[in-house]
Amino acid sequence: MTQTGDAELARSAAAGDGDAFAELVRRHAPRVRALCAATLGGPGEAEDAAQEAFLKAHRALPRFSGEASFATWLHRIAVNHCLDVLRAAGRRRSDSLDALLEADSEALGRALSEASPAKALEDQDAVERLLSRLPPEQRLALTLRELEGLTYEEIAASMSCSLDSVKARIRRARADLAGMARHFPGADIV
Amino acid sequence: MTHEKIREMIGDWLDGELDAPARAAVSAHLDACPACDAEAARLRRLGPALFRAPVRPDPRSTEAFVSRVMARVEADSVSAWERFAARVLAPALGLALAGLVFAIAMPDPDEDAPLGVAAVSADAGSAFEVAP
Ligand SMILES: [Zn+2]
Repeated sequence: MTQTGDAELARSAAAGDGDAFAELVRRHAPRVRALCAATLGGPGEAEDAAQEAFLKAHRALPRFSGEASFATWLHRIAVNHCLDVLRAAGRRRSDSLDALLEADSEALGRALSEASPAKALEDQDAVERLLSRLPPEQRLALTLRELEGLTYEEIAASMSCSLDSVKARIRRARADLAGMARHFPGADIV
Repeated sequence: MTHEKIREMIGDWLDGELDAPARAAVSAHLDACPACDAEAARLRRLGPALFRAPVRPDPRSTEAFVSRVMARVEADSVSAWERFAARVLAPALGLALAGLVFAIAMPDPDEDAPLGVAAVSADAGSAFEVAP
């Protein structure tokens, strides 16, 4: 039995077929949820944002032309929504982050200089604090590259920006993070 | 190429975004320059240090997520309908009703107005005033 394609499901969903939309959510939920979790930290906020991304997609369905694939179109909506949430969060960001800068940077410094195979930082909160220091556009670009493995061209399409912006954002993000880690030379001793 | 130029290109080199000659130039420099090579190693670790590969979600968790999204979609459609009704339908209905009452209340010159219409027409007057 062949699966109904996304484009056909999207047309049915736009015409009011709830089951068709539910099937689209089912298919694309893992990627959208992973993106929101990586860019928005806390599980509660990330889950809420992932639901809202699908809600926005549902409202926008009448404007889905089928020119891009549904996955690409939805991804763009999810990326934009994450940017919106990050920008709003940035406005209410507190200085409490800065109290932990030293410890977080040291942990990152150790992770970057160890000779053993690269592995994730244990402390997920530290990861979130470090990434939350990046401007939203830089954070998104780096996440799409490192988490999803997208090419610069794919990132440009998802973020609706130029290839040069993608390059600059990723380079800047890496330089800032590596710079934070270097700030604490004690962590750099192998 | 200078160390600085190479450092700028390390990210693109790691991401496989350089053309063949540039890629070869960076690779050759890194083979010969321990300082730049160490920087490349640090940047290569950055991704894995901060981004865990997404865990394959439990299908039950996906189903729960689908249910929550569909509940919100439904609530959203209902509220969209309510907003439409409040903005468009209610005033239109109010206007139509007022028009109807007004037409009934208008005394027909050939006919005596039936009893009770006068009372309705008084109500219609006030309803007309409060209508949006
Ligand atoms: Zn060098």
